[in-house]
Amino acid sequence: MFERFAAAEELQISIAPEKLFEIGNFTIYNSMIYGWISSVAIIIILILARKKLKVGSIKGPAQLLDAGVEFIVKTMENTLGSRRMAVKYAPLFATIFFFIMMSNLMGLLPGVGHALTYDGINLLRPFTADLNGTLAMAIFGIVVVQIIAIKEAGLKGYGKHFFPGKLYNPATYLIGAFEIFTEFTRLITLALRLFLNIAVGEILISVFSDLAGYAGPLAGLPFTLLEIFVGMLQAYIFVVLMAAYLSLAASHSEKIELEHA
Amino acid sequence: MDLFAEAVNTTVIAKGLLLGFGGIGPAIAIGMIGAAYMNGVSRNPESAKFLGQLFIFIGLAEVFGILAIAGFFIVQ
Repeated sequence: MFERFAAAEELQISIAPEKLFEIGNFTIYNSMIYGWISSVAIIIILILARKKLKVGSIKGPAQLLDAGVEFIVKTMENTLGSRRMAVKYAPLFATIFFFIMMSNLMGLLPGVGHALTYDGINLLRPFTADLNGTLAMAIFGIVVVQIIAIKEAGLKGYGKHFFPGKLYNPATYLIGAFEIFTEFTRLITLALRLFLNIAVGEILISVFSDLAGYAGPLAGLPFTLLEIFVGMLQAYIFVVLMAAYLSLAASHSEKIELEHA
Repeated sequence: MDLFAEAVNTTVIAKGLLLGFGGIGPAIAIGMIGAAYMNGVSRNPESAKFLGQLFIFIGLAEVFGILAIAGFFIVQ
């Protein structure tokens, strides 16, 4: 009876997503399927919860949504230093926050990984445990941050973020080149941080469950609890870092300086 | 040198060094971040509200340790 819980096969570790099948020239990977499932789950949950939302006291699970959005707006207000911008761009940041958190937490459900297979390949893999997925999210995030910064600070203010000094000074161009390089390192670290935290967490759980043999579920439990914490923390860090990059890029705006004064 | 490579499994040594040295940096960093936070809170209890920022800096430092763990699985 206990053999059912033990890892019967060799320990399987995969850092890259695996190919499931092809439709025409389009290859379907296992992380894509779970990404779609979690997107659909979020859309259904949010549409159902939206009907419960109203001004005044809210009862039931919709409170969580209310608290989550309020939390995002508060955090963004602290980071951006402006209530107007926080409320204006809350939809974007709340979407990213809820999607990353849902993907991370759904990756810990039973059935993900080697439990369900298709042709000997894992059917489900959390979307955030795929470097392609997190890289796509990071590129989208950084590009949107640049667009919002241009919109808020104007092209001149945005250029001042990269070339802050006088234009006849050669050091200004050196700093500008370094700033542009920094933007790319931000992109890479944003993607790698999310991907590695989730992928390594999955590996950690499987390694310790494998080491413990028959006590596998017991040994995996503390790491699963840790991963719940890490999953929520990474969603928070991703959003806050995006907001911090936005506030840095838009800091030369006159509108925001006026609000402070 | 071939004899040495046959007698000793160098991959295991490499992985051990990678994990050990890769863990040192982030461990020190997280310790210093936590110490600075406790220092600040004990001097001024109102600064306890910066717990969120604490986790962001831990997240920034943590990546380098996790990079080492990822390298552990890449080294063959």
